[in-house]
Amino acid sequence: MTEGWKVITDWLAAKELQPFAFQEAAWRAYQEGRSGLVNAPTGYGKTFSLFLGVVIDWIDRHPRDYRRQTKNGLQLLWITPLRALAKDIGRAMEEVLQELDIPWKVGIRSGDTPTAVRQQQKKQMPEIMIITPESIHVLLAQKDYARVFSGLHTIVADEWHELLGSKRGVMVELAMSRLKGLARKEGRPPLRIWGISATIGNLDEALEVLLGRPNPEAVIIRAQLKKQIALESVLPDEIEKYPWAGHLGTRMLPKALPIILESRTTLIFTNTRSQSEIWYQEILRQCPDLAGAIALHHGSIDMELRTWVEESLHTGVLKAVVCTASLDLGVDFRPVDTVIQVGSPKGVARFLQRAGRSGHQPGAMSRIYFLPTHSLELVEAAALKAALHEELVESRMPVLLAYDVLLQYLMTLGVSDGFYADEVLEEISGTFCYADITAEDWQWILSFLTTGGEALQSYDEFRKLEREGDLYICRSRMIAMRHRLHIGVIVSDAMLKVKFMSGGYIGMIEEWFVARLQPGDTFNTGGYILEFVMIKDMTVLVRRSKAKRGIVPSWGGGRMPLSANLGKILRHTFNEALSGTSREPELLILRPLFDLQKELSHIPSEDELLIEKIETEDGHHLFVYPFEGRLVHEVMAALLAYRISQRTPITFSIAMTDYGFELLSDQPIPVDPTNVQELFTTENLTVELQASVNSTEMARRKFRDIAVIAGLVFQGYPGKHKTSRHLQSSASLLFNVFKDYDAHNLLLRQAFNEAFFYQMEEARLREAMERIYNSRIVITDPHRLTPFCFPIKVDSLREQLTSERLEDRIKKMLKHQ
Amino acid sequence: MDIVEEAVFNFQQQTWHLSAGKALYWAEEKALILSDLHLGKSAHFRKAGIAVPTGIIEEDLYRLQQLITRYHPEQIIVVGDLFHSSANNEVQYFRLWRQQFAHIRFILVKGNHDILDASLYDSLQINVQDTLILRNIHFMHEPCEDKENGHYTFSGHLHPGVIIAGGGRQHLRLPCFYFGKHCGILPAFGRFTGLAMLKPDTGEPVFAIANKSIFQVQ
Repeated sequence: MTEGWKVITDWLAAKELQPFAFQEAAWRAYQEGRSGLVNAPTGYGKTFSLFLGVVIDWIDRHPRDYRRQTKNGLQLLWITPLRALAKDIGRAMEEVLQELDIPWKVGIRSGDTPTAVRQQQKKQMPEIMIITPESIHVLLAQKDYARVFSGLHTIVADEWHELLGSKRGVMVELAMSRLKGLARKEGRPPLRIWGISATIGNLDEALEVLLGRPNPEAVIIRAQLKKQIALESVLPDEIEKYPWAGHLGTRMLPKALPIILESRTTLIFTNTRSQSEIWYQEILRQCPDLAGAIALHHGSIDMELRTWVEESLHTGVLKAVVCTASLDLGVDFRPVDTVIQVGSPKGVARFLQRAGRSGHQPGAMSRIYFLPTHSLELVEAAALKAALHEELVESRMPVLLAYDVLLQYLMTLGVSDGFYADEVLEEISGTFCYADITAEDWQWILSFLTTGGEALQSYDEFRKLEREGDLYICRSRMIAMRHRLHIGVIVSDAMLKVKFMSGGYIGMIEEWFVARLQPGDTFNTGGYILEFVMIKDMTVLVRRSKAKRGIVPSWGGGRMPLSANLGKILRHTFNEALSGTSREPELLILRPLFDLQKELSHIPSEDELLIEKIETEDGHHLFVYPFEGRLVHEVMAALLAYRISQRTPITFSIAMTDYGFELLSDQPIPVDPTNVQELFTTENLTVELQASVNSTEMARRKFRDIAVIAGLVFQGYPGKHKTSRHLQSSASLLFNVFKDYDAHNLLLRQAFNEAFFYQMEEARLREAMERIYNSRIVITDPHRLTPFCFPIKVDSLREQLTSERLEDRIKKMLKHQ
Repeated sequence: MDIVEEAVFNFQQQTWHLSAGKALYWAEEKALILSDLHLGKSAHFRKAGIAVPTGIIEEDLYRLQQLITRYHPEQIIVVGDLFHSSANNEVQYFRLWRQQFAHIRFILVKGNHDILDASLYDSLQINVQDTLILRNIHFMHEPCEDKENGHYTFSGHLHPGVIIAGGGRQHLRLPCFYFGKHCGILPAFGRFTGLAMLKPDTGEPVFAIANKSIFQVQ
């Protein structure tokens, strides 16, 4: 036993604590100088499995004077996806250090860190820095940044499962590639890289992404601790009267209220911010006694208020909090003993995470209620149960070749000390994301930053990075300043502050929503009903309204697609439900609905595909039910629309849910039993997929984020509204000009890839198509809308695909009016 | 030359040829009228490090050239935002282009983007006005609510677009000419410009532009 190990175990023993086996395993692996991944549920001391390992190692190296050594410089970089987490983790670490009498400093660095603290950190870095992915890049954008990291030996990526599969994860990969490169360059031992992850389907891959290259020494340490989860659905009394479609679920509130009242503290998870606002208002309306004891928590609410809510959760003074994904992650709120999930959580991992917010103590049972927003969602509840039972958790697909993030990163290096192309290429080739970057892509990236693209014209004045020999560096202060303000990959709509006329900040709101308001209109935000007065200096001024109801802004971010795993289980569950073999209460109660479906149309068995052709005043509908999940449906619907449109000039509007999709046209859709099978052929699949994705708006939508991340579109910064004169343009406009004037642009290729390959593997679609091709396809002509088609039909987010000439379409539309 | 469809529209006792090339020709005045070219916008972006492709301005000016050879105007009236921002190389490109049509009078009704030095406009043979009145028509960059000086106003500034809806929940967004009660709004001429959707009242004439065709949609 080493000195450090003894100090720590003695300290724990004095508190009558014993380390978990996985913590000891992590300390040992860390002592051996290895890198790796710790897999443990929240609430079991995963932070200590690595933090204490670093402390042990420090004591071992300084057994005599570890209590005296101060100003040691940055040792440990602790990456966290959430600012809110940083504070609590920092507090926990400081407590330990204090008790051990180790004079280390713990610093926090995020977008909220005040300038004075930043300056102080610059002068003397704390030994431990808890930091967000964005803030590491901000550090890399400072002159002489290498000095800051000269003593760094360990990086920990906390909640790695949250970062993996997102562009923020790519930011971490890139930052680590640079820090590893610096250590190599300065002849220091290789950095120890660790991740902490909840259970996901691809832990091995998660480790590989974290480390970039396969490392035979690396280990995955699993805490063999199983969390008990009790899932129960809140069932409507009469399924016949429960809506077939909808997404609010407030009708079920009377059944949820007793649960809230009987629990100590309840978290009510909704999928969108607007839904949380409505639930909050509705709870107050139906149960005024709860005023003061319930709160609202979502991403657009003032940070101070959010912090207050979080602290009140700790102390147990709140009876319930209506929240969104904003409370998915984070520290344990011990008083929380119940969670209600309103609507489908769209994924097993997310559901587990939310369930885990209750009964946070080791060994406690997590209790979660599923409250459906429409009847068919009950099938999802049953599917979730099955997934929990089979311990099926989805994988997080790592992001590949994100050119936009790379462009931003190179610019970040360009505005600080500049970079040498060969050196950086070698570093990024060692990351998982850019392992397959080609020499041509790399050249394109460099020329995009130096000359603005390949088509350099004699009168061009492009400026971004200068090339000076082998060094690439930004010499424009204006451009450098603008870049520093835009580091990050979270793209949001332009947001405006909301304030009372009399002063007092309420929160943020999307600009497009405010644009629709007239003075005097009332709307809900932050739990208030407000009257719109005016916009002044990028701030929405409001006063309290006496109105009973206001318009609720429909904040984005609500459409999470069903994950692949859940899709498969869902299809299976549907088959069980439809065949009537299941005993699950969620499925039994749906019987009358299925009977009606059978009467109006058909109930498909496992080897059948159901297609419904229905005519309404909207036009001619074709509903298809593959039960494959929204992502597959989005691509499959576009492909089918494309294939039909090759038969005849026709225009479609396309909608989908997790169960199926709809093609809607103003003219009859030429699909019948004689020609339907060939629509699902896998022949020519790759080519026709490309054509179909390109003929919808899917790539254009993906381009929006790409353009912002790559620095082509400037977003105003909340609170720091900087006018960049005459530089406003929309991503959609840029998409048009790139398409027309620079079709080989890599960012366009990325948009297409994100629209298609990121959403799913082609293999998965191919598999689905083959399954359908070989199954019996049943086409029915119901005389009215069926329970199956209803949720799809009311969906308003639609794609369009056409093979008609624009001029012909207009002539037809004008005739229609 | 490509054939660009036009619609002839009698309005305010005058004859207007509404071209799908996003300009209108005023027969009585032999004037070609357009708005919001935003020349130099792509160069302005590139100077700021935003790699917008080149070639947009060439296409815009080529289209203007086609309109000139089709209508043979004696004057060209730009209802604001001829140039996007400060002088850059695309402004020099325009200078060369302008020399081919030295005989045509060029009037710019100043827009919020037109911030070049007066001497520069002189050297480009552009006559700059804050507003302009010809016959019974008033020209002003930003649209007005009421009658200005008792005249009907032609404006630009908004980059107007219109949504056309059809069966099967279809809809299209197209650039348009819009003729309101007191004010008509011209589509943006430049390719590197966006669209702002209008909600015309019933009875207000609107002409939508679709590729090379123009349609009266109401």
